[in-house]
Amino acid sequence: MSFFRKMRGLTKSPPRVSLFEMVWSWIGSFLGIAVIAFIHYQYLDSFDMALIIGSFGASAVLIYGAVRSPLAQPRNLIGGHVLSAIIGVTVYKIFSGQMWLASALAVSTAIFIMHATKTLHPPGGATALIAVIGSNKIHGLGYLYAIIPVGLGALVMLIIALIINNIPEKRRYPEFWL
Amino acid sequence: MTSKDQCGIFGASSVEMSDEDILAAMKSISGYIDITPSDFQEIYGIAYRHAIERLSHLVKAEDIMTRKVVSVGPDTPLSEAARRMDEMNVSGVPVVDETQTVVGVISERDFLLKMGAEKNGSFMAVIAECLSNRGCVAMPIKGKTAKDIMTSPAITAQKGNTISELSKMLAEHRINRVPVVDDKGRLAGIVSRGDIVESYCAKVF
Repeated sequence: MSFFRKMRGLTKSPPRVSLFEMVWSWIGSFLGIAVIAFIHYQYLDSFDMALIIGSFGASAVLIYGAVRSPLAQPRNLIGGHVLSAIIGVTVYKIFSGQMWLASALAVSTAIFIMHATKTLHPPGGATALIAVIGSNKIHGLGYLYAIIPVGLGALVMLIIALIINNIPEKRRYPEFWL
Repeated sequence: MTSKDQCGIFGASSVEMSDEDILAAMKSISGYIDITPSDFQEIYGIAYRHAIERLSHLVKAEDIMTRKVVSVGPDTPLSEAARRMDEMNVSGVPVVDETQTVVGVISERDFLLKMGAEKNGSFMAVIAECLSNRGCVAMPIKGKTAKDIMTSPAITAQKGNTISELSKMLAEHRINRVPVVDDKGRLAGIVSRGDIVESYCAKVF
């Protein structure tokens, strides 16, 4: 296939999911984000700590909205976020003088490492990027960023996913653990 | 692999599926499946060929061979050999010596070859010869024994030969059956083209 022919695409988009699926995706993501946001704003914010970061919104799409996807499995959710956070923090520490370079390196290296460890989780790319472009509060955390908010937040979202996604008879989660 | 080209069944592509078939299946499964129909086509095609390949290596001669083999000795008179083949309704039999070692094979074709059908060994050649010479077609081989007309040495298969190896053997040598022998060359069974066809019906489809 020639370079430009490939850009035309060759297949159809997957079908729309049922209303049932939409409703359960809504319930799961509402509760998942609600729990970490509640803890964040009610308890941690006053101690200048965080539990919620932007990339969890993306994780919610996967673990409550596409529960069968390999990208949404616990290995990918936890592994992808934690590894990407470590990479993001490391890249920021070394390249903070060149923010454009640090941003690009954090995301691209995170994707590389997630592939290599079979933990590809798209929100991980955002987690790595936030470690670089985030607030001073985030920068101040150093490697703690990988544990709180990233690791703990992902873990709380996982627990909610395990509970909510297994309530309906036609849904199940996860497909695999490791 | 050459065996694939020679045997239609191995080369056969998987059942053709349209995007509509796959979309219908995806719709019937609850939940968002994050693959496209063409992803599925690709996976299915490769998995199907893989399964065929695996099964063709899994099934061995000893799994599909006929164990009760009609055989004759080298000195069995052809009249008796022919009668036995007729009674058992087979078109070829292995020739074994007193230790059950396969020394040759006689088939209908071997009879025909010695009955005037020198070139192709077809029944029509025998008819043609008979009609033009006014003689009994079986006369040239009257009184002879199995060793006089058998194809020797026999092409034989081992018990562990896979179904694809057997198919290749039959196709390459243009034969319809191959005797299966044990480690010592003794007759253990026989695999015919029919046995291979049947094993596909049972194991693959």
